[in-house]
Amino acid sequence: MKLVILALKNLTRNRLRSLLTILGVAAGMFLYASVQTMQHSLSRATETSAADTTLVVYRENRFCPSTSRLPEHYLSTIERMPGVRQVIPIQIAVNNCGASLDVITFRGVPPETLKKYNPNIKVIAGSYDDFVKHSDGALVGQHFANRRGLSPGDKFEAVGVNVTVAGIISSDSPQDENVAYVHLPFLQQASRVGLGVVTQFNVKVKSADQLQPIAQQIDETFKADQQPTNTRPEKAFFAETAKQMIELIGFTRWLGLGAVFAVLGLVANAVLLIVRGRVKETAIFQTLGFSRLAIGFMVITEGILLGLVGGLIGVIGAMSFFHFKSFTLGNEGLTLALSPSASVTLSGLGMAIALGLLASLYPAWKATSRPLVQSLNA
Amino acid sequence: MNPLISIKSVSKTFSKGNTTIKPLENLSLDVPRGEFLSLMGPSGSGKTTLLNLIAGIDSPTSGEILIDGRDIAHLSRTELTKWRSVHVGYIFQLYHLVPILSAYENIELPLLLGKLSKAERKEKILAALDLVGLGDRADHRPSELSGGQEQRVAIARAIVHDPDLLVADEPTGDLDRDSADSILTLLNTLATEHEKTIVMVTHDPKASAAAHRTMQLEKGRLVEESRTPLSSLS
Repeated sequence: MKLVILALKNLTRNRLRSLLTILGVAAGMFLYASVQTMQHSLSRATETSAADTTLVVYRENRFCPSTSRLPEHYLSTIERMPGVRQVIPIQIAVNNCGASLDVITFRGVPPETLKKYNPNIKVIAGSYDDFVKHSDGALVGQHFANRRGLSPGDKFEAVGVNVTVAGIISSDSPQDENVAYVHLPFLQQASRVGLGVVTQFNVKVKSADQLQPIAQQIDETFKADQQPTNTRPEKAFFAETAKQMIELIGFTRWLGLGAVFAVLGLVANAVLLIVRGRVKETAIFQTLGFSRLAIGFMVITEGILLGLVGGLIGVIGAMSFFHFKSFTLGNEGLTLALSPSASVTLSGLGMAIALGLLASLYPAWKATSRPLVQSLNA
Repeated sequence: MNPLISIKSVSKTFSKGNTTIKPLENLSLDVPRGEFLSLMGPSGSGKTTLLNLIAGIDSPTSGEILIDGRDIAHLSRTELTKWRSVHVGYIFQLYHLVPILSAYENIELPLLLGKLSKAERKEKILAALDLVGLGDRADHRPSELSGGQEQRVAIARAIVHDPDLLVADEPTGDLDRDSADSILTLLNTLATEHEKTIVMVTHDPKASAAAHRTMQLEKGRLVEESRTPLSSLS
């Protein structure tokens, strides 16, 4: 602890250099944490788990909601299939099918079925009853509402659809946080697809091992129909449909790697300069009886402190940025909320400490390997 | 009585490019406990090399260096560091205080290596500050002290852990006459009243006169020895 305090005091010796290094580390770690947030959000949306029991029934060979049209009467056929727990028809209207940072998605659903189908939805402002009562009512995802500054009672218009916010909802599912749920008939008419036509069916099955057999059964059933279907587990559907967005986010991995190397180089350079500027002082410490291990520990501690302080600023800055800005990436009607998470915050701080440690290993070795007499005469 | 320092046939050789340099050659020397010894000689005579060997910051090529009966000539770098932290106080010509630390914190440095409590450290530091006459300068940083005061802090740092041996490399070389005299008086007091064995390198005959004994080195060998009359030591 005494050596840590000494290292901390050493860092205050050249305040400007320490400050500039910390700012550089903060910028690098901001970028790294931002990239990690995107990767983490994507993982949450695409990685399947044993708890996933939802299938998405889409029009075969269609990828955008505006071109996927299925007859609403498929509902009763799917509902009767063994192993199916619940089905909900969904009409989707989006302002942009391509990859976009500001996608607006309306999901038309039977209002009386929504809560039953998705009990995880919580109305955090306004009321569900208002939504059911008013045909133009909308339940808006929390993320979407933050982004657009919406609250209950507000009216807004997008994609030619005018709605009144009946409630703000939160949900465990990232998709629910970024859409506006409206009445199915209302959206069918407002978006001019016509009554009786939906974009997709979401199907809940009784257990995960039934996903594949039921998907096959659905597609087999409608194979000879005018509107054949392609049924996939929800997360696989996301991964296949939002390919552009996933490729884009995949590319950002390289930016994150670049940020890591930049931070590594910056801290190594700063600590090396510190060590070079204190050759004689290091020798004095050794003359006083400080072991090479103690000297090395102090140098490494300085590197770790630079990494940690810069990392704290950068990572918390990035998390605050994503929290307050509520960014959403959209592609083919699917949305990906870029949400801050505790795991990214912790891994970012861990990475900053690890980089500080790694960057100061060589300078620490340099500081302690030089012969003492030679250093005293430097 | 056994001498505190006993140097037997010590030689030191090192290479610089293609040239072999022998700063010390077959040198022997005894220094009794509580003696203030001055080493003089022209540049390159080997006095600083000898001082570094006695302080355990360098090792000889051959020979024995017994300090309080222990041969330090063959200790490893790590063992020497540990030994120094207990037995040696080093005083540098340019004081070499850590600029961001106060006088108190500079003196505390050697004590950070031990297991003393904060209160025990404080007691020792204040005693050392009092001994060097800087009890009222504990919170001052080196930049707020005169050269003489800085050297007094450096001496306090060298004695705070109560080593048997003090080595001083031109401790008055950067000071004006008055400051130098007061530092020499302090060193003399440490030897006479506190039984510290002091080995000092100097170019200054007046500084040398403050020591109990002066040895002249030339080309790595001891060539002359003189004792200061007791009557002239104040």
